Amino acid sequence: MAEDSKTESEFDPLPRPPGRASSKLWPILGFTMLGCAILMLAGFVWSLKDAWFPSHGMAVPEPSASARPPQGDWAAKQELKAIALGDSLTRGMGDRTGDGYVRDSIVKLNESLGKKVRLLGNLAINGLTATRLNQQLEQPSYASSVMQADLILFTIGGNDLFRIAQSGGSIAQGGDVSPERLKAKLPEAKPRLEATFSKLRRINPYARIVYVGLFNPFYDVPEARGISETIAEWNAYAQKLAALDGNATVIPTYDLFESNAARYLSSDHFHPNEMGYGRIAERIDQALN
Amino acid sequence: MANLLSLVQNETLKVWKKKRFAVIVLVLLVLIPIFVYAQLKISQNNAAKFADWRSVVQQRITDNMNAIASDRIPEEWKKWRRSLVQQLQYYLDRDVNPDTPNAVTFTATFLENSVTMFIPLMVLAIASDLVSSERASGTIKMLLTRPVRRWKILTSKLIALTLYVSLIIPTAALLSYLIAGLAFGYEGWGAPVFVGFRVNGTAIETSSVHAITQGAYLLMEMGLVWFSAMTVAAISFMVSVLLQSAAASLVTMMAAVISGAILANMASSWSSAKYLFNVNLNLTSYLQGTPPPIEGMSLGFSLVVLAVWGAVSLTTAFAVFTKRDVLN
Repeated sequence: MAEDSKTESEFDPLPRPPGRASSKLWPILGFTMLGCAILMLAGFVWSLKDAWFPSHGMAVPEPSASARPPQGDWAAKQELKAIALGDSLTRGMGDRTGDGYVRDSIVKLNESLGKKVRLLGNLAINGLTATRLNQQLEQPSYASSVMQADLILFTIGGNDLFRIAQSGGSIAQGGDVSPERLKAKLPEAKPRLEATFSKLRRINPYARIVYVGLFNPFYDVPEARGISETIAEWNAYAQKLAALDGNATVIPTYDLFESNAARYLSSDHFHPNEMGYGRIAERIDQALN
Repeated sequence: MANLLSLVQNETLKVWKKKRFAVIVLVLLVLIPIFVYAQLKISQNNAAKFADWRSVVQQRITDNMNAIASDRIPEEWKKWRRSLVQQLQYYLDRDVNPDTPNAVTFTATFLENSVTMFIPLMVLAIASDLVSSERASGTIKMLLTRPVRRWKILTSKLIALTLYVSLIIPTAALLSYLIAGLAFGYEGWGAPVFVGFRVNGTAIETSSVHAITQGAYLLMEMGLVWFSAMTVAAISFMVSVLLQSAAASLVTMMAAVISGAILANMASSWSSAKYLFNVNLNLTSYLQGTPPPIEGMSLGFSLVVLAVWGAVSLTTAFAVFTKRDVLN
């Protein structure tokens, strides 16, 4: 009763809900809310200050020493690490399952080698040229991924020769690619491939490098059959680079797509389909065993 | 002054008694564990696939570059991806992991993702019927027959609303931190974050990029979320004064907030949409350095747009509330 009269005597504009709890609640709630409001305002002002008058900020730790490349002896290892680089062939374009030769061959190697083969990543980019790949290999972060691998799978050069970099393989018309123009591209493309091989080897002295060779997707088009000659020259050059390297392999693929183009090529008539990639994966598996 | 304080006390307790804040806490308690579980699955998946976070980031860069190389991706998405690639590269080059899963980064990501929809929705739970419910239940007459000026009554409601908005954001952050900590651990306050990426056409300017701690980043982010939540609160406050029914004002505001999220995704070619408040709510994106939805938007621009919308709304609310006749 005494409490009631006390609240009545104060000026109270509204019928306050009765009860003891609310009289205790208000100081707690009020101060908590006020504290939160001040905190929010401080955060807001700070964010504006930082956006418009940035300070130097905290020191960023120096890049740590890069991971050491693995040693070469596969037999001594429990687990092999693989990395895939290159263009749309490595990306698996045309494969409706999305696996490409990379994942197929990893699965096969897992069985045939009798140890775990792990894919560190597929860093292939559709439409990549050798020039761009060489630029990427200069980046420390890209190189650090390559450095950790025991096995490097890569394809490159298709875009340098066919010049379809931007259209992602939409040249269903073989007439667009003339054998003469392709042949003319060869001298400028060769040094780029050599640079790629030597860069890879410099980054990772121990890994087994597997280069998947080029093929002529237009073999069934009579006017474009001449492309095969240039492709063969390119593959022979890659073979030479691999032999010079000593721990690299070139996987031949050109024969697969000569008589069986319809079976192994995808609908864009340029990239292999899932069966074509499956056959490439088989060959990689054979080459590494 | 004492008079106004007791009015604020009264309004605050009225909202509290309506259990609105309890509902908000309950919603957070249900939703946050779901998000934490999803995040946990993602990091477990990454840990199983990649030995090293650098590989994860490199793979993300590659995936985004593939999308950029594709013809089927719209140009504005490419712009967004390009800036993401450059940012990730910046992190990689400095050997800093941009998405270490811990309670602090989880909380920051949670706030970033909730600034346009979730936080406004929670603000609406309190703001949308602040005035209209009094009208619907008839208690407005009891309020107005007291010897208190009308503007004071409305001011007390506005202050109570501000206090609640200020309470909601730290509560959401705190709950998210506590729950995420169970799964990811409570460390990570001192880890570096890079801020100051400026989107400049297709390139990202890194000249003013500097590192701050996760803790500082989280506080700044909360401040920015608070500002956009306050704008939503102010507009919702006006709607609540203008409309008689609580349901009508809630639906109106929800429609406005949701349409903003949709517009931000598709309005890049309609450039005058940038003057709408709901397209500007995502203030934290400026801190992250992601490109704004519409060309020409910047932190300063968005703040001014939001402030103008807020000020106009409050002016209208006060003008209407002090003049209008209250019938039946």
